[in-house]
Amino acid sequence: MSVLIFSIHWQVMVVLLPLAGAIACFLWPRRGVMLALVCALGTTLSVAGLSWLVVVEGAQRYTVGGWGAPLGIDLYVDGLSLLMLIVTSVVGVAISVYANGYFERSRARAFWPLWLFLWGALNALFLSADIFNLYITLELLGLAAVTLVALAKGAQPLSSAMRYLLVTLLGSLLFLLGVALLYHSSGSVDIAILAERLSASPVVWIALGLMVVGLLLKTALFPLHFWLPQAHASAPAPVSALLSALVVKASFYILIRLWLEIFPPNNFVLGQLLGLLGAAALLWGNLQALRQTRLKMLIAYSTVAQLGYLFLAFPLANIIGWTGALYMLLSHAIAKAAMFMAAGNILRFGGHDSIADLDRIVQRLPLTVTTFALAGVSIMGLPPSGGFVAKWLLLEAAIRSAQWWWGVVLVLGGLLSAVWIFKVVGYAFTPSPVPHEVRAVPASMEWSALALALTAIALGLFSSWPLALMMVGLPFGEGGGS
Amino acid sequence: MTLLPLIFDGVLGFTLLWLAWQLLGSPDLFRAIVLFIAFGLLMALIWVRLDAPDVALAEAAIGAGLTGALLLAALARLGPPSETASLDNQGDRASVAEGGGLPFRRWLVALHLVLACGLGYAVMSLPSAAPGLSDAVANSLALSGVSNPVTAVLLNFRAYDTLLEMGVLLLALLAVWSLGSTPDAPPDDQPVGGVLALLARLLTPLLLLVAGYLLWVGGRAPGGAFQAGSVLGAAGVLLVLAGWRLGRRFAQLPLRIMLVAGLVLFMAVGLFVMLVGGDFLTYPHASAGGLILLIEAAATLSIGMILAALFLGIRPDSRADQ
Repeated sequence: MSVLIFSIHWQVMVVLLPLAGAIACFLWPRRGVMLALVCALGTTLSVAGLSWLVVVEGAQRYTVGGWGAPLGIDLYVDGLSLLMLIVTSVVGVAISVYANGYFERSRARAFWPLWLFLWGALNALFLSADIFNLYITLELLGLAAVTLVALAKGAQPLSSAMRYLLVTLLGSLLFLLGVALLYHSSGSVDIAILAERLSASPVVWIALGLMVVGLLLKTALFPLHFWLPQAHASAPAPVSALLSALVVKASFYILIRLWLEIFPPNNFVLGQLLGLLGAAALLWGNLQALRQTRLKMLIAYSTVAQLGYLFLAFPLANIIGWTGALYMLLSHAIAKAAMFMAAGNILRFGGHDSIADLDRIVQRLPLTVTTFALAGVSIMGLPPSGGFVAKWLLLEAAIRSAQWWWGVVLVLGGLLSAVWIFKVVGYAFTPSPVPHEVRAVPASMEWSALALALTAIALGLFSSWPLALMMVGLPFGEGGGS
Repeated sequence: MTLLPLIFDGVLGFTLLWLAWQLLGSPDLFRAIVLFIAFGLLMALIWVRLDAPDVALAEAAIGAGLTGALLLAALARLGPPSETASLDNQGDRASVAEGGGLPFRRWLVALHLVLACGLGYAVMSLPSAAPGLSDAVANSLALSGVSNPVTAVLLNFRAYDTLLEMGVLLLALLAVWSLGSTPDAPPDDQPVGGVLALLARLLTPLLLLVAGYLLWVGGRAPGGAFQAGSVLGAAGVLLVLAGWRLGRRFAQLPLRIMLVAGLVLFMAVGLFVMLVGGDFLTYPHASAGGLILLIEAAATLSIGMILAALFLGIRPDSRADQ
């Protein structure tokens, strides 16, 4: 058994299975659901196999084509990338189950291949150790994400998708420009080799600056978030969930990889700037969320806010800060996916997502409202939940590095998000003046969302395992931090 | 002695910038597209001057030719000019409302100037002798199975990148098909006659021949799957323009199989050599040349079909669904 586990090239399986599934769904659209679910299961098993390998044998480097960097392309998996792969699988399986109930036949035909392409792109991105290869995965990811937004028919989703396309292309091009400059000044595109060869010269700073701006645009850090609320809110519910949970996190992952590996060490000012933007995103996103009248817009603005937390790790720059930000990423991905799916259920049930008209939905969709509330607990950061652990770690990092003001921002953000969550939950108990016609919600949609919300809570109870997993291969460097 | 090339390069560079400025400033979309095609051709010339004939071929075929055709096809579907003009106005009004008009534009210009200065400085301060990978490529070329370094990089050293790029191309087609309902421009029952039909009859066999040649020669000289595929795609575009459509029997699964053949075969070869005992996409040195040709042949077919299908813009079997 263990021989089998070690002899299979799990890295390759993790990338190729979703791609093969996408092709199969394209070839035989009538069997799309079955093929996609089998493929989701297979991908998850491959990620489990890879986890086993990495936990037992430590971080793995894999040479595609047998050439090795700098001539060939390497795949690299350590605790950081493994964690991203696992989150993607957890959210991915739930979204696949949910989407099975959500899409009618004609749109399902387009959805399954696109979603599996997106999944493959995400996995390829998390495994890549090569900045040009990262660019290609970004292209694959962006194109799939944009098309999925446009699956919601109508003028509004189309124009948000178009805007998203332009933004994501601009981000990719800035990244590519940086890649070209780095290759020209160092003669390699492999991250490990770049880390050895690069020194703090003007070219390197300009290249890294371009790449950072491109990635921030894709991650939608305030004030570059302008495209996100419309795109995430007008997409079909499963797509909103995967955009907010996974797609924006992919560019953030590249950013921390670059920051940890190839950035010159003395970047105090840039770290503070990113932290400042993160704090602004936190406050602005939550305030805007409070002002929204539509549930999906509210949740989309909350994504803008929650992305801000991730950037608080940059000024703190110690291991606890990084683990806190990653734990935030993990719990936000799961809780926000659950929340968007719950919003999708509400939209399906009542035909609208106006917050003031939720109309005693708690009696009629108890599972969905439970999902929303549990996901809200994690997003507010109340114990016991993944969000609580993440904020606790970030707070501890802020105190350790003697930058208490980031702690204040952290608490303030939590309070603001509590206000809008209680507002929504309050309306769920209030009768609405105008009765709406209701439609049944498939059980698979309710239960898959609830399962994710429960996972977000469980992350608060069992935090030692993910925290230990992150440390495999020491992605954040050794020792107690700088 | 060196003055003439210098003047030539200067004229090329200046004309490129001038064309770019003109096409961005043109309010007439048709004119902008024509300028864009000219821009692509000029760009191809510049690649030739930079000793990159492979890129030049790809730029001329895809950048100027097929992209231009795609843009023209898109323009034809935007409807009469009055409609697009009113859309433009709406767009302008929206951008004024969002960005605050003139100050916003000034801010943008300032931003671009800063970016241009930064980039200019960066390029100027780069070492003139780049520590690139050309030596490493040259050293391993004998083991790669082909003698054209560009093909060796694309199909062997960095084959994984190319595999994912094939995915991007297929995904682009899926994206267009998922958007759906644009009507097929020339109706089937109205045969296209005259010069176009004659041209299609004469040129299609020639284009097929050229595509085959480019594919075959790619192992040794500039050429390869992308160039051959785009020539094949051009043949497809010509046939589509001449009113030729796939029969309904072939427009379903057989067509889809041809569209994915390149990617599937690429993945299959990669997995096969992995099962035989290497890493993913590690071709045995003895059979590398043959495997690369096999992958390239399937890729050429798929690229050509995808490009032609993109030009058609609609799922060929969509009428069968209704």
